[in-house]
Amino acid sequence: MKKKLFINRRKFIKVLAGLSVAPTLGLTQYAAADTKQFGKLADTFKCIGCKRCMSACKRWNDLEVERDELVSDKDTDLNGNNWVVVNLRSDKKNKTQRNYMHWACQHCQSPACAGVCPVSAIKRLDNGAVVINEKKCIGCRYCFQACPFKVPRFDFEKRVTRKCTLCYNRFPLNYKKPACVAACPVGALAFGYRQDIIREAQKRLHDLKKPGYIMGIKEAGGTGMITLLPAKPEDMGLIQVPKKIINQNLDKVRITAGGFLGASIIAYAMYLYSGMTQNPDPNIDKENNDSTNQK
Amino acid sequence: MIQRIKNRTQLALESMEEEKGFYIWITCLLALILLCGFALLASIVTSMEILEFSIKIPWAGMISTYVFLVAAGSGLCIINALGAVFGMHRYEILGKRIAFLSLTLIVFGMLCIVLHLGHPERMPIYNAISPNFRSAISWMGALYSGYLAFVGLELYLLIRPDLFKQSLVSTGHIKTILKILTLEKFKNTFIVKLLENPKCHQVIGTLAFLAGISALSMLGSVFAHSESRTLWYGPYYPAYFIVSAIFCGYAFLIIMTIIFHKTGEDPIPSDVLSLIFEMAQVLALLLAVGVLFITCRIAFGLLNPIQQGPLLLLLNGPFKIGFWGFEILLMSILPVLILLWATRKQSQTLVFSGCLMVLIGAFVMRYQFVVAGQIFPNITEGLPSYLPTLMEIFVLLGVFSTFLLVYTLGEKYLSLKETDPSFLPEKSMS
Repeated sequence: MKKKLFINRRKFIKVLAGLSVAPTLGLTQYAAADTKQFGKLADTFKCIGCKRCMSACKRWNDLEVERDELVSDKDTDLNGNNWVVVNLRSDKKNKTQRNYMHWACQHCQSPACAGVCPVSAIKRLDNGAVVINEKKCIGCRYCFQACPFKVPRFDFEKRVTRKCTLCYNRFPLNYKKPACVAACPVGALAFGYRQDIIREAQKRLHDLKKPGYIMGIKEAGGTGMITLLPAKPEDMGLIQVPKKIINQNLDKVRITAGGFLGASIIAYAMYLYSGMTQNPDPNIDKENNDSTNQK
Repeated sequence: MIQRIKNRTQLALESMEEEKGFYIWITCLLALILLCGFALLASIVTSMEILEFSIKIPWAGMISTYVFLVAAGSGLCIINALGAVFGMHRYEILGKRIAFLSLTLIVFGMLCIVLHLGHPERMPIYNAISPNFRSAISWMGALYSGYLAFVGLELYLLIRPDLFKQSLVSTGHIKTILKILTLEKFKNTFIVKLLENPKCHQVIGTLAFLAGISALSMLGSVFAHSESRTLWYGPYYPAYFIVSAIFCGYAFLIIMTIIFHKTGEDPIPSDVLSLIFEMAQVLALLLAVGVLFITCRIAFGLLNPIQQGPLLLLLNGPFKIGFWGFEILLMSILPVLILLWATRKQSQTLVFSGCLMVLIGAFVMRYQFVVAGQIFPNITEGLPSYLPTLMEIFVLLGVFSTFLLVYTLGEKYLSLKETDPSFLPEKSMS
């Protein structure tokens, strides 16, 4: 008797068609989402170091205000209370070239921090903002270790890690820009769709007719924050980040597999050790021990 | 009534007089635990900053101690497997001590993590509700939880016959508690019969071994996955963690066994003594393998331009004393020579010294690995430095003291001394 197959020809063709269309649909959705992602432009050529962006960030996010934070030449580091900093930096190769650097979370397109958070407290929103859920954060600081830009900082008072949220909570209130961008008096900061922001950065660099560098197009696989620099990041005292996605899943699997391979070799060595030093009959071992005890 | 209290006080004083050394040891440990309590209270009242103050080097003393204790505990799990899984009966005589030591080391390692976390109370909740399967910490937590459960069960099965014997001679509430612990009411049920089956013991031992070795490899992966930390990144550390954990486990086991017999009245039985010398030889071999690992790491690291910077910090930078002095000389070369010499001379003191050197060197190695790994890259110009605060030292001393206190009490009251390997639970219970 002919055995009945669990799937007929029509079903098989349907599944095959579905399988081939599914990735395409997924790609289309991803592409659509990519055009909807926001980005922030920081133009270091235009920045005058007034630090109003820092002040506006603190006001909007209810962060503690420091007494001398608006002093232009004071170097400020990111921490639980400073989500955006502006510092004066000079080009290592041309010391006369000094610019104010606007530095905050780069909102990576493939955030390494979200990939390592053990409790999934870090998420990348549909609009491109990478946000930490402070009510979920356990304060392990693994995100800081994973971040290629070393941005998420631990707040010792609140006992959680905090960073810039791209003011994602302003948009439902009909504000069109993050607080820092809205506060910039000279247009050094701009906000919009990422593709438009990249075009704007390229246009500004072209209009300047000066050598420069656009950071964020490919760094760490592409970031939401695009920074227009007078020189390469490493020359401006910033971290040199590889132009690829950091902490890829496949890379993690490879490393973990290496560990498990090591574990298997150790287990095999133990097996050999037990085989080499053991008598085939366990009672002989016991008898030997007994005789040693009697002696 | 007053007379009864007087009599009891008299008895207590007499027993203290008999075991003077034991009570002095306990008092010292309690004093250090008090200091730790003070530091923790101060951190709650003021700020967590007094414990681990650096923003740029957020993983420091606590994480190093965690890695040191947990890796040694996992190493003991692997050693335990030699008896429980691979059938080396001579290792089974130390089964209870290995299981208890492994359990306490991992529990107190976990305590370091709890003290390090900003919100430890959220960890079990969100790890269960929304785990991140891409995160090595999440996997490590799950695997260590499984390991603790298996090793706890294994220890319970090992000490159950002793508890049963004690329940026969005790009276009152203690007898009731012991009866509950030995599950006497459920004597004829399927679960108890299953637990009494020697094969169940072997299965639990195998599961504990698999969970332990995987968790250990995952602990290495926690660091090795960080691509932006060039010293940690790569497949080297998950493998090296396993080797270094086993030699730390051996060192802990030998030290604890020698201390127990030196402080107690019984001399070391000859089978245990021969096992100690055998373990010392294996330890020397593992240390030599460790040296090979370190050499490969340096060679491949120096050839890679990205890893040169952090490696040079260890080889010729601020961490050079720790690297050459502690990691190479104290942890690797001297103990190999001493242990080999000790086994030839059959000297317990030399074995003990060699193992102590391994543990001191390994602690410094873990500390350097954690701290030096975070120096590169850093955002501002100039390298950040780190030195533990006084409060941090108090807390670390407190963690070690609590571990030693629990282990001492366990050794005293759980009768962890060597047992006949041929015992079977159901035989000893009948």
